[in-house]
Amino acid sequence: MQRQRRDTAITLVLYPEEVIIMVYNKPLPKLNPDVKPFWDGCKNHELRFQKCQVCGHVLWPPSIICPKCYNKETQWIIAGGHGTIYTYAVYHIAYHIGFANDLPYVVAIVELDEGPHILTNIIDCNPQKIKCGMDVIVVWDDVTPETTLPKFKPGR
Amino acid sequence: MSLKDKYAIVGVGYTPQGKIPARTSLSFHLEACVNAIEDAGLKKNDIDGLICYRHFPASSDENDLTPFVVAQHMGIEPKYLYQDANCSRSHLQNAISALDSGLCNYVIISFGHNARSSDSMLTMLNEFTGDDAVFGHFGATGGYALAAQRAMHEYRTGPETWKHIAVGHRKWACLNPNAIMYGKPLTFEDYLNYKWFVEPFRLPDNCLLNDGGRAIVLTSLERARDLKHRPAVIMGLGGHHPSTDIKYSTSMTGPTGAKKASEDAFGMAGITVNDVDACEIYDCFTYTVEITLQDYGFFAPGEGEDWFKGGTIEPGGRIPVNTSGGLLSEAYYMGLTPLSEAAMQIMGRCGQRQLGPQTKTKNPEIILCSDNGGILQSHSCSILRRL
Repeated sequence: MQRQRRDTAITLVLYPEEVIIMVYNKPLPKLNPDVKPFWDGCKNHELRFQKCQVCGHVLWPPSIICPKCYNKETQWIIAGGHGTIYTYAVYHIAYHIGFANDLPYVVAIVELDEGPHILTNIIDCNPQKIKCGMDVIVVWDDVTPETTLPKFKPGR
Repeated sequence: MSLKDKYAIVGVGYTPQGKIPARTSLSFHLEACVNAIEDAGLKKNDIDGLICYRHFPASSDENDLTPFVVAQHMGIEPKYLYQDANCSRSHLQNAISALDSGLCNYVIISFGHNARSSDSMLTMLNEFTGDDAVFGHFGATGGYALAAQRAMHEYRTGPETWKHIAVGHRKWACLNPNAIMYGKPLTFEDYLNYKWFVEPFRLPDNCLLNDGGRAIVLTSLERARDLKHRPAVIMGLGGHHPSTDIKYSTSMTGPTGAKKASEDAFGMAGITVNDVDACEIYDCFTYTVEITLQDYGFFAPGEGEDWFKGGTIEPGGRIPVNTSGGLLSEAYYMGLTPLSEAAMQIMGRCGQRQLGPQTKTKNPEIILCSDNGGILQSHSCSILRRL
């Protein structure tokens, strides 16, 4: 018996012995035409953002207009993957079963050198050592064959 | 033309609150609305405006809770009917606008939710957070925790400040037999002994999750004078909705929407922060109270801890805040917890917790109120007075 849960992409395979194999039990990004180029970039281990061709603003989230000058012409650029921690929160409770084994884990907003504030996880670091303003660098987490998440760790 | 002193809250409707199993969200809306109409001394046929706060996702055993359903069950056909969908908090402005434009004469604003006993909040948590869930970021606690952590980086604040807020609210709740936390005192030590929830927040930094409903009735001051209670007159109003999602926001440490909204409200009322006798602040989290009062001008960034110290907001304090216990310690009804309490205080109907000589506080001539939606994305400020 195989069952696919719509919201979490959990694949539960129940063998006759009732052994459960969990493939990836965390939520996955919702792909729509606006955000798909970003997530396609992640798959290639590239942080892709739109840059306004008129005022130079780097858009995030993706959009069909620049919120600063309303220009519609943008060009996709690849960010360097460097930034600083703008803020963070340490989760000591799991709202979703998929994160229960990760506690405590860190959700952060990283301010990239190119400007965008991106929500992510800080990994490879003791949560108690994290500080706002800390330098971080992107780490790619290939969570499924189709999806790669940009996470960050301390470093420059 | 100014809206100052033209409209008033004239009735408040309560319901049982806390853990009340086997009740639908609809039933709480209806009970609150009917009680508010009766409290105002009105009849159902008087009510020609209905505004419902957003409905969270329906529990799995209930249908979508629209204002149509509420109106249908109340047996009314309003001339003005409205509900927000995503927590923009313009309900009071909408009510006053509808009254002032002559679209209707008596408006109810209502909220009801079986948040504690149903599965609605679980659905809400997953829907509300969208793609953030990919990184394990869920709900409002995480969002406000991000804001609070950034504030701790920029100026002096943190649990040593917020403990005064949590404890102060609990002291008020212990004077309010209706409050969910009535009879459950909280000390600084208790607060600090709670484990981290989403750090930098502990459990008592979070508002309550409860079953129940609340409603208020508004009308013109002219009509209010013929009704049962002393009207709680709206002296000033202001709104500001920065809208940007917290993860892209650079205003999470202020000025938030509270600054511009309060400047407009003070401007309409023709008063300053020094004229305020008490505050009823939307306190989804302790930090929300700090940032709101800071943006309202009670203290500068980093001075919160000193300002709160010594019981400033508690019974007997200089500026009482959230005298019912608020969302943290009374019950959660979105902006109706603060607004209904402000109205009741001005009407003089608050029993043991009544502002004035009884609680060694100033008489509540002017009360400053806030409502706040999303993660600091929407802010409304209102000033109520006794006339």
